[in-house]
Parts: sequence; C-alpha cells; structure tokens
Amino acid sequence: MGPYVLRRLGQSLFTVVIVVVSVFMLLRLMPSSGYFTREDYVNMDATARTAYLRNMGVLDNPAIQFGHFISGLAKADLGRSIAIYPRTPVLTILAEKAPYSLWFGLAALVISMGLGLGLGVLMARQKDKVADGIGTVYVTIVRAIPSLIWLFLIQQWVTGLLGWPMVFYGDRPVSWILPTASLSLSGIAWYAIWLRRFMVDEENRDYVRFATSKGLPRRRVMTGHVLRNALVPLVQYFPQQVLLTIAGSLLIESIYSIPGMGGLLVNAIRQQDNPIVQALVLLYSVLGIAGVFLGDILMMLVDPRIKLEGSGGAKAGKA
Amino acid sequence: MSADNILEVSDLRVSFSLRGKMLTALRGTSLELRRGETLAVVGESGSGKSVLAKTFLGMLDKNGRVESGSIIFDGQDLARYTTEKQWLGIRGKRIAMIFQDPMTALNPLKTVGEQIREAAALHRGLDRRTSRLAVIETLERVGIGEPELRYRQFPHEFSGGMRQRAVIAAAVACRPEVLICDEPTTALDVTVQAQILDLIKSLQRDLHMSVLFITHDLGVVASVAQRVAVMYSGQVVEEGSVEEVFYDPRAPYTWALLASLPQLGVKGEELYSIKGTPPSLFKEIRGDAFAPRNPQALEVDFVEEPPAFPVSPTHWARTWLLDPRAPCIEAPRSIMRLRERLSKARKDPGRAGKASGGEA
Repeated sequence: MGPYVLRRLGQSLFTVVIVVVSVFMLLRLMPSSGYFTREDYVNMDATARTAYLRNMGVLDNPAIQFGHFISGLAKADLGRSIAIYPRTPVLTILAEKAPYSLWFGLAALVISMGLGLGLGVLMARQKDKVADGIGTVYVTIVRAIPSLIWLFLIQQWVTGLLGWPMVFYGDRPVSWILPTASLSLSGIAWYAIWLRRFMVDEENRDYVRFATSKGLPRRRVMTGHVLRNALVPLVQYFPQQVLLTIAGSLLIESIYSIPGMGGLLVNAIRQQDNPIVQALVLLYSVLGIAGVFLGDILMMLVDPRIKLEGSGGAKAGKA
Repeated sequence: MSADNILEVSDLRVSFSLRGKMLTALRGTSLELRRGETLAVVGESGSGKSVLAKTFLGMLDKNGRVESGSIIFDGQDLARYTTEKQWLGIRGKRIAMIFQDPMTALNPLKTVGEQIREAAALHRGLDRRTSRLAVIETLERVGIGEPELRYRQFPHEFSGGMRQRAVIAAAVACRPEVLICDEPTTALDVTVQAQILDLIKSLQRDLHMSVLFITHDLGVVASVAQRVAVMYSGQVVEEGSVEEVFYDPRAPYTWALLASLPQLGVKGEELYSIKGTPPSLFKEIRGDAFAPRNPQALEVDFVEEPPAFPVSPTHWARTWLLDPRAPCIEAPRSIMRLRERLSKARKDPGRAGKASGGEA
C-alpha cells in the first residue's frame, strides 16, 4: 500500500502542475484589452495603455511571470487582485470569503447526509410503499426542476411566510437558515436516491438470504449487512464533497447575497483578474484531486476486495 | 405425526401473486423427514423444490404465502407462523440451510469468521471471545485448515469449495436439528463435490442431524440419501427409499426421469427425453400434471388427480396406474431392467413379490 500511495501522490502533484500551468498560460493568451475597464480603455492613449499594462506586469514573458507566481507561492504570496479588489492580496480575499462558503457548505453537507441517508434507508425498507412514493416524488421534483426556480420560490415564499430576512446578515442567525436549507435540498435527494438504490440492490443478494437463514433479525440484516455494503459506493465521493464545499454555490450565494466564494472564479475570469484565477484554479485542482485520491484510499479501507496495487487499477478479486 | 418424523409436511399449498396473477408453486405437497435420515428431493427446475425449502424457514418472497396445509416440526405447525419473532426461534437455530452458490452466499465485505460468529453468538448466547473460539473449532471441524487465519480472511480469499465449507460451518455452528441443503454442490467442481458430500454426511452422523437434500443430480441422491421424494409441478409424486424409487419406480414421471439418465441408456439407442414442457403454474391443473407429457396417460389422468397409493409401507406414488382398476402398463424397458436387477439383488422373495403386487 505504501508505494502505491506515494506513486498516486506523485501522479496527483503532476496533474495539479499541468492544470495550473495550462490555465496560467491560457490566461496570457487573452486580449490585453480585457485588463481595462471600458472607460479607461477609451480615455487612455496607446502609451498610457502600455504603461498601465507594464505596471501590471502582464507584458513580461509568460515564463518569467510564471516564475514570479511560483516564487510568490513559496512565500505564501498569491499576488494581488487587479480588477475586482484592486491591490488587495488574493490571500486576504480568500481568507475573508472562504469561511462563508465553508461553513454553509459543511452545514449543508451534514444535513444532506443525515436526512438524505435516513430517507434512503426509509425508502429502501418501505420499498413500493407510501414512504418510498413520497420520497421518490421529492427526489424527482428536486432533481428534475431547475434549481433556480425552486430556490427562488423558497426565498420568496418562505421569507414572506415566516417574516425572515430575504438576504444573509452575518449577525442575524435566522438569516442563515434558508441558505443552508436550500443548499441541502438537492444533497438530501442525492443521498436518498443513491442509498435507496444501493440498498435495494444489496437486499436481493444471496448473502442477505443466507444471513436471514442464519436467524439474524431483519433489523440486524439491514444494518449489519445491507446498509453497510450499500454505503461503500457512496464513501468514495465523501472526501471530494467535504473538500469542495469551500468552492461555495454560485446560485445560493448570489440569491442570498452571501459574500462567499461562489461566483468569484467566474467574475475573475470575466474581468481577467489573473492572480485570483490562478489562485482559485490552484486551490480547486488541489482539492479536487486530493478528494479523488482520499476517496480511493477510503474505498480501500472499507472494501477488502479492493487492493490498490500493481498497475494502479482498483481490482475486485474473485478467487 | 409419527414419532420417527422430525418434519412432516402435509398437503402444503403455496402461491405467489405475480402482476395480478396467481402462481401456485406448491399444489398439495406432502413429505416426511425422519429423524437422522437424509431425504433427497429431486425434480426439474420449477418443480417447487426450492420454494419448499424456503417455506421451512419462513423465507418465501414477499409476494408468496402458504395457502393451506401444515408443516409440523416438533409439534409446532410452521405453516401457521406469521411473525418474525416466531421464525427467529427456528431459523438457523433449529433448522439451518445451505445454499446453492457459495460464491455469493457470503457477504464479501465481512470476514468469514465474523459471518459465522454473528449467528453462533446470537443463538447460543455466547460472548465475543467464547463465540470466536467456537467458530474456530467449527471451521476446523468442516475441514478448513489454519482456522485462526481463515477466521480473519474475507470470502474472496477462499476458493469455491472452501467457501461452501464456511457456509456449512455457519449453518451447523448452532447445532441445528434439521439441515436443508439446496443444491449445495451444483456450483462446484466435480472433485470438490465429492468432498462436500462427504463432509455433509459426516456432519450429519456426528451432529445427529436430519438432512433434506434438494438436488436434480440423481448421482448425488444415490450417494447421500436413504430416501428420496420426486417432485413434479409442485407435488411430490413418489416417495420411498432410494432403492425402491430408483429400482422400482411407479409414477410415470419417475420412469421418465430415470429413463432420461444417460447411464441407463443402451448403446446405439437414442437417449430418452421427456417431451413437452411442464404445465404453467398460473393455470389450474386438472388431473395428473404429468399426463400431457405422458404418451401412455390414461383417460382418468386428464380428469382427476391421482391420490397417493402405497406400494410398500415405505413407498408410495401418485399415479392411477396403482389403482386396482388400472390397465397393466409396462414401465419403459430401461426401468424394467432396473427392476430385474432389484429382484435379483433381493434375497427375500416375499418382499419383492409384495412390491410388485401393487401393479395388478
């Protein structure tokens, strides 16, 4: 297992480098007019524009720029924002925004897993009965209707009904509820439908019949065998989901005016705020790749058939 | 109920509802399992063998139910059991079961030892340490070497034969009185089959179990069982000692079944095969279920179901041929040869005469 983990770590690092370098270089291919506001661009003459760009450092050879970026990284300096928050260190911006996304995301994840897995177990146990039907209706609605529509309806109706604030206020806990709930709704549906599906699959396996024939009560068969085995395929996604909560949700954060990370990447790309784009690409690729990697390790721990050895493929052994 | 019988099934009817239609899987099955014996239940796919086995453990699929009849086990009628609590006193504890495919019978994510231990601990009320020791002992008993190591291993680290041994260990860990084997060797290599059969036989002797052995392999029947019940379309059509049923079969279906064994064919002659297909269990069957496939069927076979006629005190068959009014219809030649071999083998002419007396 040791050598495998090391090799996977090496591969992951290599992937991160590829992603960061290519995004970095691609950004340098963008037209330089993107660095100006429309007004500035019109008001400046050619010399002023060149001076402006040189001052920004975007006229240097991209390789040199990349060198600056890397040496900055070593000093934990991600550069300063250009367009969105002029001259503010990127790290300061992230430190300010990330906690909002992280806390909302983690709270939503805990709720999604708690309620979603519970609902999934209930639906599997009550398969084809009333609870299963209600659950299916819920899942279908949440997954089939574009989230923008019901997110907006929740904001409009529920705030009106309960007299809660329409947007997020850091100092009013009651305004935290709806964003968290909205963020959880689709997660609940995701966990419920997949757990139900995996449990129903497992329930029809021979080993369940055998466990029953040994005289185990149905409850113990369900928890000790069916549920345990059904959770295995879900475990793989868990690290990713935890790590990527930091990216925030574009939709929810803009609906409730939460100053989180959601939308920051899109804005930064649109305004050619290269330092922010670079920092976010680095962050998200590291987290995403780490998530997949940890997911594989976790899988290996819960499924003894998977041996992460040899040529690196997960292999289900059959003697 | 005779004191010799540990399990007595009478006139058991089991049906399933499938998309609004009723499928009758068992149509008045009757069967006796004696204490300490091995009874083989043979029949083709769909004859209801496995459904019968499941009813003994209350493990019918959700859409199935026992309509009528009784399953008397130790004075209790299992056919009347409804709650899980009632069944938990029986399942695995007093009646245990071994399944056909050992590759899938074990949970792939739990250690083999733990899967045996969870049942043993539950039924025998042992703590973790004691039950672990008991399991290791059982593993050793079923012929698994290095039981301490094997206890901690997962099913995929076991070969097919070893897995079946582990399944058997789980089944006998609680010293059941009845062991039901549902085609336990069908999925195994021929060489391993013999070992597993020997294991089942020796466990039965040591633990004084009664074994109900479901199979469609008549060779297996001869090697493990003392008695045999032949099933067709949800009914036992003939029951008797292995010797009686194999060498002196009476029901036309048993004739057909035995005649289609390659071993009984004569070189140069075409191998006999039963024409047609079993009747649909969705429809009500009138008369003898086998009549449409039986070229020598009597008129009455299409009208009325034959009752069970005794052939000897230990042998009965459901066929109108055993009725005194029936015309004398000869069994196929291969069956006649078997019968000759039997009467030659039997030193006692009185018994042989009685056995063939029912034919008149």
